[in-house]
Amino acid sequence: MNELRSTIYELLEKAAEAYGNRDAVRYKVKEAGQGGKKETKVEAKTYAQLGEDSRRFSAALADLGEQGKHIAIVGATSYGWITGYYGIVNGGSVAVPLDANLPAEELCELIDRADVTTLLYDGTKENVALMASEQCAGLKHLIAMEEGSGGSGALSMHELLARTAAREGNTAAGYIPRPEDLATIMFTSGTTGKSKGVMLTHRNLAENATALDMGYEPGIVLMSVLPIHHAYCLSMDILKGMSVGAVICINDSLLRVAKNIKLFEPNMILMVPLMVETLAKKLEEASFIPAPLVKAKVFGKQFHTICSGGAYLNPSYISMFRKYGINILQGYGMTECAPVISTNCDSAQKAGSIGKCMPNCRVKVVDEEIWVKGTSVMQGYYKMPEETAQTLEDGWLKTGDLGYVDEDGFLFLTGRKKNLIITPNGENVSPEEIENKLGANRLVQEVLVRESEGVIEAEIFPDLEYAAKKKIKDLRGELQGIIDAYNETVPLYKRVFSLKVRDVEFEKNTTKKIKRF
Amino acid sequence: MQKRSICAGKDEIMFEQLAEIITNYVEVKKEDIRPESRFIEDLGFTSFDFMSMLGEVEDELDVEINQEEAANIRTVQEAVDYLTKLQ
Repeated sequence: MNELRSTIYELLEKAAEAYGNRDAVRYKVKEAGQGGKKETKVEAKTYAQLGEDSRRFSAALADLGEQGKHIAIVGATSYGWITGYYGIVNGGSVAVPLDANLPAEELCELIDRADVTTLLYDGTKENVALMASEQCAGLKHLIAMEEGSGGSGALSMHELLARTAAREGNTAAGYIPRPEDLATIMFTSGTTGKSKGVMLTHRNLAENATALDMGYEPGIVLMSVLPIHHAYCLSMDILKGMSVGAVICINDSLLRVAKNIKLFEPNMILMVPLMVETLAKKLEEASFIPAPLVKAKVFGKQFHTICSGGAYLNPSYISMFRKYGINILQGYGMTECAPVISTNCDSAQKAGSIGKCMPNCRVKVVDEEIWVKGTSVMQGYYKMPEETAQTLEDGWLKTGDLGYVDEDGFLFLTGRKKNLIITPNGENVSPEEIENKLGANRLVQEVLVRESEGVIEAEIFPDLEYAAKKKIKDLRGELQGIIDAYNETVPLYKRVFSLKVRDVEFEKNTTKKIKRF
Repeated sequence: MQKRSICAGKDEIMFEQLAEIITNYVEVKKEDIRPESRFIEDLGFTSFDFMSMLGEVEDELDVEINQEEAANIRTVQEAVDYLTKLQ
């Protein structure tokens, strides 16, 4: 059911044609029920409606003189967000999805840096709209996503759609994007340094989403739990999902993942490793109950696949979930590659590997670093020529990740180049390699390895719940034991000589990666 | 642990309910949970566990919790105060 699409316009139009009256998006709404008590209902929009609404939004932007301009979107995942995104890019403008968790000041800075002229925002971000309208000189229009909202000089998305719908004849913006047109500027949420605006064309995004047939059938139900501004979610849930006629169910809050699984009954969820680890604990707690029953209770009988990406996942979780009949497909990517570089899939997977390279790209290994070339690779960083030149060489993207390809073409990661520790005698040590080894122990919940005063230091946040369960009193002694056992298996220069024990979790960025510095 | 008076206050009832739910998420005895206990540091929650528990609290208490506000809660007492306000 998978065909290569080279523009997002083509991707959505073909989906609207093929899956017209099937549900594209399902989401929760609250309504006043009997006795004034709020009741939760599930509403849906079909592929045909999404196609129509996004064309109307393209036309509305063209009416405002915003065709070809940069339009920022900020807010939680919603039908309005998705409609807005397709409307922007398919009408010839450039979408700039922003991280809704960032403080208003930082969002205003990104709006300025990306030369945004229109801001589309949801009800939770009215403070951002207000601040941006005062501070961002280049901003011309504010558009509020929700029905009935749009005070203080903002336009209402709902009214704009109604206005273009009432117009006679063709409602589209009269523009068909070409594959090489810039579609999106996405800011990286790197764990170090200033975030960079990654420029991605229609071809980058559309081909990344459609190059690999993962065997999804139309009507497969996905529940989207990750932040939508993130390349992994936007590409894999929204673009790839819709290219195959999936039903995208919107998880309204991280508080309600378990509840929403019961409500939407998904077949598949895209996750980051932290979520996999928490769910693993839930499964483990009920390990005295037969596996199929636990699985049916936590995920429902229909559930079969978790795609994991965004950070390293310990392979032991993959075998653990398999016992419950759940397949974890681990992938690898970065925003600069629109974003998937490699992934395991049902027909080709290997434990511990991040899968085979996508068919529209190829990889080579230069001094242990993974380089990627192909139609997913970005055009560069917006207005950052130096950083672009450091990252792209003759069309090759230097990922900064260290790894190797095995004889069957599977990719394995060993660490991050920029995190490499250079020991006094010139040996290179990858902190991630050590972190992954120490992290495999159940008592180690989070670990960061770095160089400190000339020696390798591990800072560990222990799994306190596990320690309590196992009645471990001397945490430091136990952790030191883990390190001693590790040290015995490695050469001297890779040994950990200093241990720090934390009593709080590490600080994370919004994609739940540990902030390294 | 404070003794429960005959006319238990609204937040004492809330504390009891919350402590009951907490024991379903982490390995801790109900009588060891104190108002000043911190979810992550003392009780051993991960941030995602904590979010999942609040989802259950929503159902049990029939309230609607705002994810951003919830992220600022650190201790059991802060949770009790926040939830009492919502009810």
